Amino acid sequence: MNPLILRGLCERLRPKHLVAAGLFSLIICSTIYLTAYFNGSQGEWRLVEGTDEWQQSESSPVDGARKAFTWLLGLQGFFLMFLGTGRVASITAEEKESGLLDYQRMTPMNPFSKITGYLFGVPVREYYMFALTLPFLLHCIVTGELSLENVLHLYFVFFSSVALYHLTAHVIGLVVPKPRAASWVSRIVVLGLYFFLPIFGQAGISFLSFLTILPTYFGKVLPELTALESTSYRSWENELVDFWQNVPFFTTEISPSLFTLIMQGLILTALLVTAHRKWRNDALPAFSKPSGLIVFVVFQFLLLGSLWPFFAEGKASGLLGENFSLEDTREGLFILLFVQSVYFGLSLLGILTLVNTCCPDRHLHLKGKQRAQRLGLPAIPRLADESRGTWFVLVLGAMVCAVHAVLLSLAQDSALFFVAYGSNWESLLDPTPVQVSPLAYLLPAVLVLSCATYLQAARELWFSLGFWGFAGLLWITPMLASLVLLVGWGTDHLDAIAALSSLCPILCLPQVLTCHYPIPIPQEYVDTPALGAFAGIGVATCLAFFLSVRLYRRPKP
Amino acid sequence: MPSFRLPMISVQDLKIHYGDFVAVDRLSFEVRKGSVYGLIGPNGAGKTTTIKAIATLIEPTFGEITLDGTSVLHEPEQARRMLGYMPDFPPVYDDLRVEEFCDLFAHAYGLDPVRRKEKVSECLGLTGLTDKRKDLCKTLSRGMKQRALLAKTLVHDPPVMLLDEPAANLDPKARIDLRNLLRKLASDGKTILVSSHVLTELQDLCDAIGIMKQGQMVHSGTIEEIAEKTSPDKIVLLEFASPGPEPGTILSPLDFVSSVDALDESGTKYEVAHTGTKDDESRMITLLVEKRARVCRFQPKQSKVEDLFLQVESEEEGGEEK
Repeated sequence: MNPLILRGLCERLRPKHLVAAGLFSLIICSTIYLTAYFNGSQGEWRLVEGTDEWQQSESSPVDGARKAFTWLLGLQGFFLMFLGTGRVASITAEEKESGLLDYQRMTPMNPFSKITGYLFGVPVREYYMFALTLPFLLHCIVTGELSLENVLHLYFVFFSSVALYHLTAHVIGLVVPKPRAASWVSRIVVLGLYFFLPIFGQAGISFLSFLTILPTYFGKVLPELTALESTSYRSWENELVDFWQNVPFFTTEISPSLFTLIMQGLILTALLVTAHRKWRNDALPAFSKPSGLIVFVVFQFLLLGSLWPFFAEGKASGLLGENFSLEDTREGLFILLFVQSVYFGLSLLGILTLVNTCCPDRHLHLKGKQRAQRLGLPAIPRLADESRGTWFVLVLGAMVCAVHAVLLSLAQDSALFFVAYGSNWESLLDPTPVQVSPLAYLLPAVLVLSCATYLQAARELWFSLGFWGFAGLLWITPMLASLVLLVGWGTDHLDAIAALSSLCPILCLPQVLTCHYPIPIPQEYVDTPALGAFAGIGVATCLAFFLSVRLYRRPKP
Repeated sequence: MPSFRLPMISVQDLKIHYGDFVAVDRLSFEVRKGSVYGLIGPNGAGKTTTIKAIATLIEPTFGEITLDGTSVLHEPEQARRMLGYMPDFPPVYDDLRVEEFCDLFAHAYGLDPVRRKEKVSECLGLTGLTDKRKDLCKTLSRGMKQRALLAKTLVHDPPVMLLDEPAANLDPKARIDLRNLLRKLASDGKTILVSSHVLTELQDLCDAIGIMKQGQMVHSGTIEEIAEKTSPDKIVLLEFASPGPEPGTILSPLDFVSSVDALDESGTKYEVAHTGTKDDESRMITLLVEKRARVCRFQPKQSKVEDLFLQVESEEEGGEEK
């Protein structure tokens, strides 16, 4: 048996723990499950039509078990996802701080065995508590006549989610340089990745919604749970069931659970790569340049696949799909602009993260130079962690530009967004397609490549604090300042506000695109987006140029 | 090349930066197989950083570290198999019993169950923890935790041991036990690199020492070699049965005698500094006896690590003041 799992068993499942945790789990579980079961199995009170009398329908153990299922699932999620994730995060962080992790790092165990040991050894008590809920689950399945296939389907995704959350917490514990911060950072990241990020799924980027168990639960299990309860099948449940059906991806549709497993599998792979590197050598960056590129290719592929149906056919998932109407092309263009901004925003955040992870700081680069010298190499190999990341960020930027170009071409070809209407009523039925200016392709590309270049130069010139300070000041401060000015000045000085906000590339991109889309703008503000675009692109290119020159001209230390 | 020709630990031109701060700067030293090497220096001298770099836990900015010819930087996995590392602060798994703690690492190092049991018992015996084997680690005192950690370090029988302040929390008896244990391990062929603030402990334990300051190696070698480097004078303690003729006057014809200082006011105890050899020392005795001085003690003074360290410290301070 894996020594780290054995350690977890010795440390956290001694007889006293078995009794205490077992009683806790059984008492909580039986209270919640039985309350839900008995409440659900009693017949509902209904008003008899045409009379003032209330009548109770026949009691139904099937309904009771089905109602109790969701509560049971919630409790199991609490044990494994909430308690277990917290445990893995805090133990990894504590052991890193105390030095215990170093002992493990020095043992000749395979890094994957160490990761497995931490994932299953540390939360062993939580797994035990979960195991004690299984008799209730069995009762639920038998009494509630639930389809075993659907339940197994759900639990497969459930365990995949648990492994994902635990691995995220473990990796954060390994990666965050300040161990005391690791515990908090891991909680925030787990919350962000699996709670806040799925919100972007509502903006048409469907794959982000599929990081949790919810799509499988709502798409597969909820329809079965509510099937018998015709009277209590409420409209919100109906909406949720509809909402989480097959996922549009490129020109096809994928079942929610398969899509969830694919998404989770991809993230698990990326996290395993990071954990493996960190277990081998703590000094290594979380990703090498090639693995960073692979991660970004997959990310862009998923973005492209999710956004394809929207740009090609005007079909979108999430809230966007619910509310989007192509009948009004003006609205269509605004939504297009919004979705493009979300796409660019996510891509830039991806680039920022990968620049921070894969580009070397001054000392790592210096180490590489000295090592290359010692090995008699003319230069640091391009794929090495220590090599300059200029080519790397340019490839990342080029990928974003290429995906954007594909999406914009789709939108152009679909004749759903870029259309013009003539003056007579007949033309309303047959609008004329409008050609988008090539600048709508080119200028965002310039902006993205400039941003990627200055971020890389800043990362390699300064250490973490300087880099994050620079990125924060340049991206967040103008955003907040322009918000304050907009509230204070209203539309009085919109040009100045546009120019200021454009320092943040996420706010600059909509301005760049607005200049080249047939969006009707009031006459007095017609130049405002152009000014913002000019300022934003100008500042970004200047920064990219000056910081790159400084980086490459830096005297040898 | 046969391994016995190579030093067991070789550190060449080691440089370690933390941001802009240079923790270790151009450090070079070698430790022979089966010897005990002591790293001494004030707080912040870079001892722990150096030990961590050898233990593969910190990647140096520059330089090379080899263990029996294996590069720590390029083959860390192989290097780790040869290493037993004990940090200065003894972290242990609080909720494990002492024997479970040792067994965990024996298991992780791939020992089979039978061998594991034997090895754990042996290491607990060596570190005097047999009685405490069933105790939870969290109930141990700091000194006991240190012993448990030493037992864990020994459990996979590593040829190289890196011990950072191993005696810091031990009581006097445990220190003596530790010293004897380390000497025994060295005589069994293990190479031990130990850092310590307890300089008197190193005196009897180490075959060679390195004195570090501000990330640099100020002196490295045997205690005698360093003593010779830091001060060419040798000291002889001289004691007479009763006050007699002034030894300074008696020894003045000997040109290798640098100075003669009285150690107290009784006129019976003196310290003679000289640059001569063993033969010269016998000439000193002969001359004193000839001049009817009633010599009852003539003892060449051993250089102490403590003295050397203070001497180096004062030299450095003098240098800085200049």
